[in-house]
Amino acid sequence: MAIPSDAGSEALHRLKTTDPPQWLAPSAALSQTARAASQHLFSSLRPYAPKTPFEQLLVEGFDAEQIWQQLDLQSQPLLSSIRRELKRFEKDPEEIRKLRVAMEGKEREKGLEDEVEKMEVESDDFGEDLEDLEEEEEQQQQKEGKEDEDEDEDEDEDEEGEEGNEGGGIEDRFLKMKDLEKFLKEDEEREYGSKKKDKKKKKVDDGDQEENTEKEEEEEEAGDDEDENGDGEDEDEDSEEMGEFGLDDDEDEDTDELGNARYEDFFGGKKKKPSKKKSKLTGDLEGSGMDDDGEDDEKQQTLSTHEKELAKRKLKIEQMEKSNLEPKTWTMQGEVTAAKRPKNSALEVDLDFEHNMRPPPVITEEVTASLEDIIKKRILEGHFDDVEKPPALPSKAPREVKELDENKSKKGLAEIYEEEYAQKTNLASMPLSFAEEEKKEASMLFKKLCLKLDALSHFHFTPKPVIEDMSIQANVPALAMEEIAPLAVSDAAMLAPEEVFAGKGDIKEESELTQAERKRRRANKKRKFKAEAAKRTANKPQDGTLLNNNDAVAEKKDDEEGAGVAR
Amino acid sequence: MESNQAPSSMEIEATPSEPNLASGSLLPKPKFEPLKAHEMSDGRVQFRKASVPPHRYSPLKKAWMDIYTPVYEQMKIDIRMNLKARKVELKTRPDIPDVSNLQKCADFVHTFMLGFDVIDAIALLRLDELYVESFEIKDVKTLWGEHLSRAIGRLSGKGGKTKFAIENATKTRIVIADTKIHILGSFANIKVARDSLCSLILGSPAGKVYSKLRAVAARLAERF
Repeated sequence: MAIPSDAGSEALHRLKTTDPPQWLAPSAALSQTARAASQHLFSSLRPYAPKTPFEQLLVEGFDAEQIWQQLDLQSQPLLSSIRRELKRFEKDPEEIRKLRVAMEGKEREKGLEDEVEKMEVESDDFGEDLEDLEEEEEQQQQKEGKEDEDEDEDEDEDEEGEEGNEGGGIEDRFLKMKDLEKFLKEDEEREYGSKKKDKKKKKVDDGDQEENTEKEEEEEEAGDDEDENGDGEDEDEDSEEMGEFGLDDDEDEDTDELGNARYEDFFGGKKKKPSKKKSKLTGDLEGSGMDDDGEDDEKQQTLSTHEKELAKRKLKIEQMEKSNLEPKTWTMQGEVTAAKRPKNSALEVDLDFEHNMRPPPVITEEVTASLEDIIKKRILEGHFDDVEKPPALPSKAPREVKELDENKSKKGLAEIYEEEYAQKTNLASMPLSFAEEEKKEASMLFKKLCLKLDALSHFHFTPKPVIEDMSIQANVPALAMEEIAPLAVSDAAMLAPEEVFAGKGDIKEESELTQAERKRRRANKKRKFKAEAAKRTANKPQDGTLLNNNDAVAEKKDDEEGAGVAR
Repeated sequence: MESNQAPSSMEIEATPSEPNLASGSLLPKPKFEPLKAHEMSDGRVQFRKASVPPHRYSPLKKAWMDIYTPVYEQMKIDIRMNLKARKVELKTRPDIPDVSNLQKCADFVHTFMLGFDVIDAIALLRLDELYVESFEIKDVKTLWGEHLSRAIGRLSGKGGKTKFAIENATKTRIVIADTKIHILGSFANIKVARDSLCSLILGSPAGKVYSKLRAVAARLAERF
């Protein structure tokens, strides 16, 4: 152990002295020294690790990954054992003193101190590397692996620090641990974000209040790890829940740290970086501020439920006031066009507006069947709902529409103008158009009807209109021609006496005649008759036979006799 | 001769009246008898010639007597057909009643040559105020080829019904001879008929023209 330890320490020393830029380029010498150093460290840690399969770190012929795995194998059980120790010390601070007493061997102390320094140096380098990696915010495994290593180193350092410093540094840390736990419990009741802030604050507290502020970053990380450990120990309840987050993949850490699955675990040092920067920049101021907050937290523990509610309400009010100041969401704004709201955002919102139209009827088979039934029934009944126009009352007589005759006119142009001229000068009654003739006929009929109706009423006597017509009039008694229910009845005949008989001189009846007049009449008659008879015989000279002559003679004789008798 | 006679008769009349007014008053106004148509043209015979287009030759032959009779008998104008020159010649007679007869007859014959019927053209003889107006389609709108044919078709209508409708409504007679249009009638009626024909040429549909015609015809009828 002594010889290799010296070589190992030399190697470590050499590693320390090399300039950082030299690490960038791979060099065989550097790798050799690194291997030697890691071997040395491995063997130095070996007594503390309970179950390491390797006696010493095998480096020859192994690549970085394999060496790493070996280290990992050793470090994990080591970590768990250290944690157990820590728990023990928590529960029983007196044991620490026992430890110290047991470890008062100066040689060991010296060696330890030397190793502590070297460890600090190494951890410094490693810490820087870790920072670089963390700044990249790359894979969590890498980070956690490195954290493990870091924790490994740091915890070793812490342990050895415990042993080395006579209880001064450790006591402070442990006391702080307890305070931290208290604070964390209270913060748990609030939201996670504030807790994290407290944690950051506490980290800073650690960094500031400790006087050994050479490597603030390390201590921050130490504090962070401690916090995590402490939280892990306290939050066993959450550990089961957080167990799902397999991102905290180290098995030893899981039970303790899963409960504290934090943003940083998943998404890197977004919050760590600013917190670190903050700490760098404003170390003292923040420390003082954080102290005050720490004190406030203490006060909040003693608040009554009413005050707690008030505080909640106040917080809500602040939130609402803040949201009021911000511009409203598009749903709260008045008229929003498509350009003013994000794309497809109207689909997500449940819009409700009045539809002025009835929605169109959904045509299903049933609807059509019902319609068809109605139609059939109506057709059978003959009940049609045709809208019929109400008969419009004619306000004025319809204008006579002169139809355009599309046929060739039969009259010549001269005749047309002739008719026109005649009409103008009223020479002759123009042959009226067809419509006018019908009009005349209609008016005639109506007049006749009116005459008859007036006769019935008797109120006003209107004589029949005189129409100069050529018509034959029979000698019918006037009664028939006049009114149906005549006022006066007259025996007068229709024809005037002149029309009946137009004669000259005195006209006497037979009874008025004197005898001489009678005789005269008879004589006239006879003469006429004779004249006629003579005519007849003259007309028929061929037929002049004896018979005719005899007849004629016989007639003459008869006439004479008649005449003689008359006389 | 007749002109010489007039002053002599005048002189005879004048001399006996002169000694009555010997006191110095104005001379009595001379009384002239109206001049006869023959005298107006200084006793010379006047002629008119109307050329016969080939497409009116056979209709002229058919309707010759209808033309000849009123011209010769009522208008007292000599009329003859010069077959060689394909012209109808008119000549005045001494016993012509009116100066304007010759011109009327010439117009009548000319109208017949344009394409009008005899019975329509005779109106010219009977009425003074009838005129014939002719114009071409291209005067209204320049049309070529199919457009021209379509315009002519629009003017006449199916079976000539549009043309007859215009004729009947406006009391005119219309002849559509390829691209030339002749209208016979009185002045106002010619105007109306021309307007409707022009609107048809320009492209308005027949129905529109009919409605306008109806309104016009009603107005024209209302006057009388």
